[in-house]
Amino acid sequence: MAGARVTVVISQAQGRNPVKRQLEEDIATALIAEPGVDVSLVPHLYDMSQDHTGYLFLRSVPGNLIVLSWLYERATRWTLDRAGVRGQVGTTVLKSADDELDEDADDDNEKESSGSDGIGSLNVPDRRLYCIDLRVSESASVYLNEIRRIVNENSVQVVDLMSWIGGSPKQEQLERYLQPERMLEARRALDSGTANHQDKVSLPEDTGRRWYPVIDYSRCTNCMECIDFCLFGVYGVDQLDRILVEQQDNCKKGCPACSRVCPANAIIFPQHKTPAIAGAEGEVGGVKIDLSQLFGGDTGESAVELAVKERDAELILAGRHAVGMSVGVRQAHREEIDQLIEDLDALDF
Amino acid sequence: MSEPLHFMMGNFKAFIPEDRLYSRRHLWLQEVSGGLYRVGLTAYSVRLLQDVYFLEWSVDPGTQVRDRQEIGEVESSKAISSMYPPCAGEVVRFNPQLLQDPSGINADNYGSGWLYEFRPAETLLQPAEYIEVLEAGWENTQRTIKGQMNE
Repeated sequence: MAGARVTVVISQAQGRNPVKRQLEEDIATALIAEPGVDVSLVPHLYDMSQDHTGYLFLRSVPGNLIVLSWLYERATRWTLDRAGVRGQVGTTVLKSADDELDEDADDDNEKESSGSDGIGSLNVPDRRLYCIDLRVSESASVYLNEIRRIVNENSVQVVDLMSWIGGSPKQEQLERYLQPERMLEARRALDSGTANHQDKVSLPEDTGRRWYPVIDYSRCTNCMECIDFCLFGVYGVDQLDRILVEQQDNCKKGCPACSRVCPANAIIFPQHKTPAIAGAEGEVGGVKIDLSQLFGGDTGESAVELAVKERDAELILAGRHAVGMSVGVRQAHREEIDQLIEDLDALDF
Repeated sequence: MSEPLHFMMGNFKAFIPEDRLYSRRHLWLQEVSGGLYRVGLTAYSVRLLQDVYFLEWSVDPGTQVRDRQEIGEVESSKAISSMYPPCAGEVVRFNPQLLQDPSGINADNYGSGWLYEFRPAETLLQPAEYIEVLEAGWENTQRTIKGQMNE
């Protein structure tokens, strides 16, 4: 009975920006009627806790999966990886306005870490996971065309949604993700201030803003610089001695210092303003001008100096002593790191 | 009567009212009661942003912030930017009207479009000093903007 279905999950923007809401709604509404596609909406990926029903839902999707979110693709992929939602890298042609032109056919199914020195992810299932950045275009049709292209290139047989969710103990809680039309309706009611009890039940649990690093294991070499540098106990290692973000809530909101000292640029803060830290591949970001530099974000310091300063500020706020360059900074790496960050920064403009 | 204090951004006159103080982060501060200041965007920053349609704060009222700490985000028809405090100090409360509709910033940036109330912990700039900051930074501002345009 089941055809070759692809599940599309839209990770909603933070806040209630009407422009973003509208794009999400336009895409979801069109996909509800689209053959071969199941569509769901979940809260913003980065803000959901690991046991949020949105992640329970995502983990239970068995087949090929397309995730659209307001994040760079790398940030989406590794935020999902952290939550145990994995898949082989599905290649999307929707990257940035520049390389949207041709190149789709041949680089169909590239290797996980494409020749890098990264330690890679673990237990990656044999299905494809496509991550698409909703900031690439303002037009729903651009995303719909890409989703149709992906549906056409996949012909894996999967069971239909109801039968795989059945039997789960959380069935009722996951039900809402199978009714995107109802969820959109409830969301409209919420935005206009007329939400009733039924609407609230149809919506996922609320999520608050969070701040923590996400590791890109296709780049991470397990060098342990981050665990040495961070003095707040965010990092730890697992049973295989692989680095992981263990105590994410120890992380200091707004502080991206560890990502600046990472020699492999493997630490992503998806909400950071600098594209290289937020997970950009190096492609030019949005078309809008970023005025942050003019409004106070400008600094003439090197990446490591900046990281040390950011860390000191957080230490002092926490009632501890500043340590400057004396802890967790490997002298030999400094110049190299600065060069790397400079190169990355140069790409933004 | 001489013309009010202003700075020329090309052909655009950015007025700098002299009844308040300024920060080099392109914010104005007007004292509302002992040590408590209302903070808003100057005509200069509003001109760069143009129509603001999204404003969000990432800190809670009552938070002590340091200089250059990100406290929020603004998005307009033309630009995005992080928001930073005028200097170190305490963010006391946000303008509730803007939380509903940030376009108040464009309608009346020196009045009802104020952003938040703030207790600065550092010295602020006099209007004339702010003009000097604008003059010194104008070249760089134009470069920053042009450098980011794709052509």
